[in-house]
Amino acid sequence: MKRILLLILLLSAVNTFAQNRELNLQFNVKLNNEILELNKQYFLNSVNDSIKIETLKFFVSEFKFLKDKTVVDSLSKKNHLINLENESSIYLTGKRSNNFIFNKIRFNIGIDSLTNVSGVFGGDLDPTNGMYWTWQSGYINFKMEGKSNACPTRNNFFQYHIGGYLTPYNTLRTVELDILNEEVAIINLDINTFLSDINLTETHSVMSPNEAATAIADIFPKVFTIADEQ
Amino acid sequence: MNNRYYILFTIVVICSSFGIIKYYELEYPDYFPQPAYNFKNNPLSEETIELGRVLFYDPILSRDNTISCASCHSPYNSFAHSDHDLSHGIDDQIGNRNAPALFNLAWQSTFMWDGAINNLDMQALAPISHPMEMDESIQNIVLKLQQKEIYPGLFKEAFGDTLITGEYVLKALSQFQLTLISANSKYDHISKGEDKFNEQESRGYDLFKRNCNSCHTEPLFSNYSFANNGLIVDTTLNDFGKYVITRQSKDSLLFKVPSLRNLKFTSPYMHDGRFKKLNEVLNHYISGIIKTETLDSLLGDPIELSSNDKADVLAFLLTLNDTDFVFNPKHQFRINKPVIPKE
Repeated sequence: MKRILLLILLLSAVNTFAQNRELNLQFNVKLNNEILELNKQYFLNSVNDSIKIETLKFFVSEFKFLKDKTVVDSLSKKNHLINLENESSIYLTGKRSNNFIFNKIRFNIGIDSLTNVSGVFGGDLDPTNGMYWTWQSGYINFKMEGKSNACPTRNNFFQYHIGGYLTPYNTLRTVELDILNEEVAIINLDINTFLSDINLTETHSVMSPNEAATAIADIFPKVFTIADEQ
Repeated sequence: MNNRYYILFTIVVICSSFGIIKYYELEYPDYFPQPAYNFKNNPLSEETIELGRVLFYDPILSRDNTISCASCHSPYNSFAHSDHDLSHGIDDQIGNRNAPALFNLAWQSTFMWDGAINNLDMQALAPISHPMEMDESIQNIVLKLQQKEIYPGLFKEAFGDTLITGEYVLKALSQFQLTLISANSKYDHISKGEDKFNEQESRGYDLFKRNCNSCHTEPLFSNYSFANNGLIVDTTLNDFGKYVITRQSKDSLLFKVPSLRNLKFTSPYMHDGRFKKLNEVLNHYISGIIKTETLDSLLGDPIELSSNDKADVLAFLLTLNDTDFVFNPKHQFRINKPVIPKE
């Protein structure tokens, strides 16, 4: 009996030690170097006009930690939905299963093809989250909607529903970033960088897997950076 | 010490046998292939199947609560829609495709005439959201179900949770539809050695095997692939089938090969319901094939059938009608048993 108690004590001690090794991840979406607020008017120099973002949601999946080129650990939560309407969704906590050292992080923007063909899932993948197409199977990997006078559309509305998991219109993209801090990582998504590669006057409505969608997906790896201020 | 473990073990066993879901095994003949559906993600239970059945017949799934799944997929038509070449949806709108029959769905991995849907679980989202079919959203359905008295109890029984989610709604609909197995036609009785073809049916079966079986493959009577079967494009619809989804020219005019089971109940035929009679369908394959680039290679030469041959093929096709399936009360609207939520 004593031995069992001792074992339990030992196990819980190990457990506490393991729980102390956490990495707090945070995704900050920025526009004009400010934290983006939905439905707020911003002035966008690149179009010399105003812009308002009403919806921004995207999937972060298969988050991994690397030492140089070797994957040393990964987050147990495979698919995570970031939705700016839900403030807590920008935070992700990494429970580190071992005492590893890393200097890079890698994650995907979007949902992998196997998950796309494997039927319905709950939680972040539940189709009620508005990130699943109905007329054709497939997750929307990245959704951004808003208004800009640069858009010659009804109500100046633009909508990017970027998805597609089949070649040649696969829109899943991988982001890899160098990282130094092992306790907190703030990852910035810069909307200015994103919009600098899109002509809002010409490309304002992308809602199917097609060339326009893959072109927008190609911007994803460029728009994420590790924040300086951490 | 040993005693304590034994007691603990017993308690665990007793606890887990209460409230745990009764698993349900699909019954199908041994000459059927392995199902394509992944049951591991959605293990069948009687409670969930029953919930799926209630949902299938409930017009709450449509915007104005008038159209249910069964509106276009009637059990008496082998879950197709009789008298309508194109499906008839909300506000009396007419869609652009014929509502296909629903059976043996566990053996299919792509859905819709153009293959737009890649998993049975996700299929229901398409008609639910289509503005000419049910014009509703899964988000709003979840809200409506949560407020309708019978549902939280039914979801609790099925999933152990009164909180309704999109995942649960779709899983329950899949489960009911997976039980729609048609395997009790005369052909099936013959396959089980319980019956015999008559002479005419036997001749028709030989003709069928020579001319039709490579796409309408036994025992499901479809290989569930996509093919261009040489139909002339209806210029009022300009429907190019799988191309509409993939935007690849090799997929132009490809439509899903339907099963030949239950044809007696599923007229009219083809993706746009253009043929009312089976005779017209046979005539199409004999003399109506339009040659285009994507025409199925097996249809390059017309199928030659005399009028006697046609009668024989039709006699064989009649052996694929499964009246037991069509009139199975387990598949129908639950009318005798009032729905009382259990707390």
